[in-house]
Amino acid sequence: MLEAVPVEYYLVLSAAVFCIGLFGVLTRRNALMFLMSVELMLNAANINLVAFALYWGELTGQVFVLFTMSLAAAEVAIGIGIILVLYRNYDDVDVTDATTMRW
Amino acid sequence: MFAWFFQFAPAIAVLPFVSFLLALVAGRWLPRKGALAGILATGGSLLLSLGVLAAVVSGHTHEQTLYTFVDAQETFSLTFGILLDQLSAAMLVIVSLIAFLVHVFSLGYMNAEGEPGLPRYYAGLGLFSASMLAFVFADNLLMAFVFFELVGLCSWLLIGHWFRDPAPASAAKKAFLVTRFGDYFFLVGVVAVLVTFGTAQFAGADGFPALAAEAIDAGESFFGLSAEAWVSVIGLLVLGGVIGKSAQFPLHTWLPDAMQGPTPVSALIHAATMVAAGVYLVARMYGFYLLSPTVLGIIAFVGGFTALFAATMGVVKNELKQVLAYSTISQYGYMMLALGAGSYVAAFFHLTTHAIFKALLFLGAGAVIVAMHHDEDMWLMGGLREHMRVTYLTFLAGSLALAGIFPFAGFWSKDEVLFDTLVVGLEQPLLLVAYLMALAAVFVTAFYTIRMVLLTFHGDPRTDVAESPHAVGLSIKAPLVVLGVLAVVAGAINLVPVEKLTGLRVSFLSSFLGSDRGLLTHNAHYVDLRTEYAGYETGAIVSEPVTVLLGVALGFGLAIAGAVAAFLLYRDADPVRHTERLGSIHTLLVHNYYQDEYQVWLAEGLSLRTARAADTFDQGVIDGAVNATSSVSLLSGDRIRRVQTGVVTNYAALVVLGLLALLVGFALYGGWF
Repeated sequence: MLEAVPVEYYLVLSAAVFCIGLFGVLTRRNALMFLMSVELMLNAANINLVAFALYWGELTGQVFVLFTMSLAAAEVAIGIGIILVLYRNYDDVDVTDATTMRW
Repeated sequence: MFAWFFQFAPAIAVLPFVSFLLALVAGRWLPRKGALAGILATGGSLLLSLGVLAAVVSGHTHEQTLYTFVDAQETFSLTFGILLDQLSAAMLVIVSLIAFLVHVFSLGYMNAEGEPGLPRYYAGLGLFSASMLAFVFADNLLMAFVFFELVGLCSWLLIGHWFRDPAPASAAKKAFLVTRFGDYFFLVGVVAVLVTFGTAQFAGADGFPALAAEAIDAGESFFGLSAEAWVSVIGLLVLGGVIGKSAQFPLHTWLPDAMQGPTPVSALIHAATMVAAGVYLVARMYGFYLLSPTVLGIIAFVGGFTALFAATMGVVKNELKQVLAYSTISQYGYMMLALGAGSYVAAFFHLTTHAIFKALLFLGAGAVIVAMHHDEDMWLMGGLREHMRVTYLTFLAGSLALAGIFPFAGFWSKDEVLFDTLVVGLEQPLLLVAYLMALAAVFVTAFYTIRMVLLTFHGDPRTDVAESPHAVGLSIKAPLVVLGVLAVVAGAINLVPVEKLTGLRVSFLSSFLGSDRGLLTHNAHYVDLRTEYAGYETGAIVSEPVTVLLGVALGFGLAIAGAVAAFLLYRDADPVRHTERLGSIHTLLVHNYYQDEYQVWLAEGLSLRTARAADTFDQGVIDGAVNATSSVSLLSGDRIRRVQTGVVTNYAALVVLGLLALLVGFALYGGWF
């Protein structure tokens, strides 16, 4: 039986992954990169859920992760669809080009 | 045996209403463009009214609620109903008789002359008759108000019949607006009556006049005023409508202009419908007016003043119908004077005889106008009696009645008005002043009436048209003859002076109106109220017979004097325009005492300027505050919406910043640091 890794390590990892995702969302202009960054942020949350499930010795968090993953898959399908439409309308996948819905 | 007529009483007003609908919808295809439908309908109304009058004479009365359109438990209900007592039964006969004769006359005046818009004309006449008849038998003040307004609407429609000319169109508007000005006060009065007494019924112990008397007896107070003062306020408010409709000073200015309408309409307006409505309203709620001596004094004084004031203007008019218009104003002044003096019977008596002889005079004038190819200037006439005997004789009968010459109808009624005012005036100085003005008006009335007759029918023809006038038909002559006979004999219904001097029971109208039918609308009740609340006492000079004789001598003497003066001045074959020698007075009279000018000044100089100032205040201050508030929102919204850049990255950044702000906020608040 391996010595259990303390839960704080998981939390730091999760925070780091989340911040990378957030950084990507805020700085990247490519919509595909955008989508990947969102995936990172979702998975950061998943890490948290699994870590606490292990910590408390309960399965609820792990079951929740399964839901999040299926949700993420659906989200990717929609996100790809949006990116395709974006490309069709603006001949590019740059998110800063699509600024017609504003004041 | 006549009481079964009561169940058909609503039909008195419904029949002319049906003729209105027929003429309106199918007038173009009806025989005579709707005239026959109108004649049949008003003829039917006349027969039913006579039946109702017979029933009332034989001792029955009828009060019935026909329709309740607001049924309230706590406050008051609004209803339509009919009240058939002595006053309304007699008035129904007068109105339907005049309406019937006017419809017949219109055949000769409108149809035979090929006037345009006949279906519209007969529709208007039908609605006019229907509204007036419904107004007359109304059993509550609200219903009376509704039909009072309908009468005003119909006058607008009919005065403006030839609306393509600017003058009739503007006269119709003026009649509508001036009477409406008075009606505003009436409307407020109706609301005040309903709110104060919870009922607007005229008759019975639970009618508002009786309730008002109880309130005064109990010393109640309403809205901080004593019951007496509040009754006076309501009385004055309703009087506003009366003064507008009955063309009393200062709201008389619409009536002479209303001569722009077709002459049969003038006859209807002046004799039986529109103008009579005002005086009738006071008589209808007379039990209420008698509770307030202040209002009675005002009514009497306005009446006496108007009688003289209008008569003086009639002296200088050159158009036949203008003279008659001012005589109408003046004669309604007499009725108001009688009402103000507490003499219900005299007022209604004069209303009756005036309806007959004024309808006669207007229809006679209509015949003259047809004969003269629609010229109204009396100076273009002259000598017409040679060519139109029937018109001349009947017109003369009407004129002598108007002038108050014995034994024509007008003499008896005017004498009774003057006598009743005199005996009250001997104790009340204000009424004596009103009496003296009315007495002076007798002279002036006789003068302008005889002047009118002489200029129109006597002397030599002054134009070619007057030499060979257009012949008038039977439909014109027949109504004239009926009214002419009545103008001679109608005084016989109430020979009060004869009764007072000889003791014969010949004052039929007095005993009819005086008999108690349990509705508290009979004259005996009014006499009690007059003594108890108005505090009127009657005096006599030496003794009653002497006073009667003196009154007759004064009234009749002045009438004869006026007639003789006019005869001496205008009897020549080619009369001179004597009135122009009056100089500046003539100018004043021709301009109607500048009443129109001053009312226009009130409207344009005063009201318009006040309205402009109010508009400036509204636009500047009220709207300014609203606009300032909204401009703050507009400006800030315009700035803040620029946050919406459309760049999704910016939104993400804002979400993150918001999250951070929340975290920091919770952290500080939750005490993590």
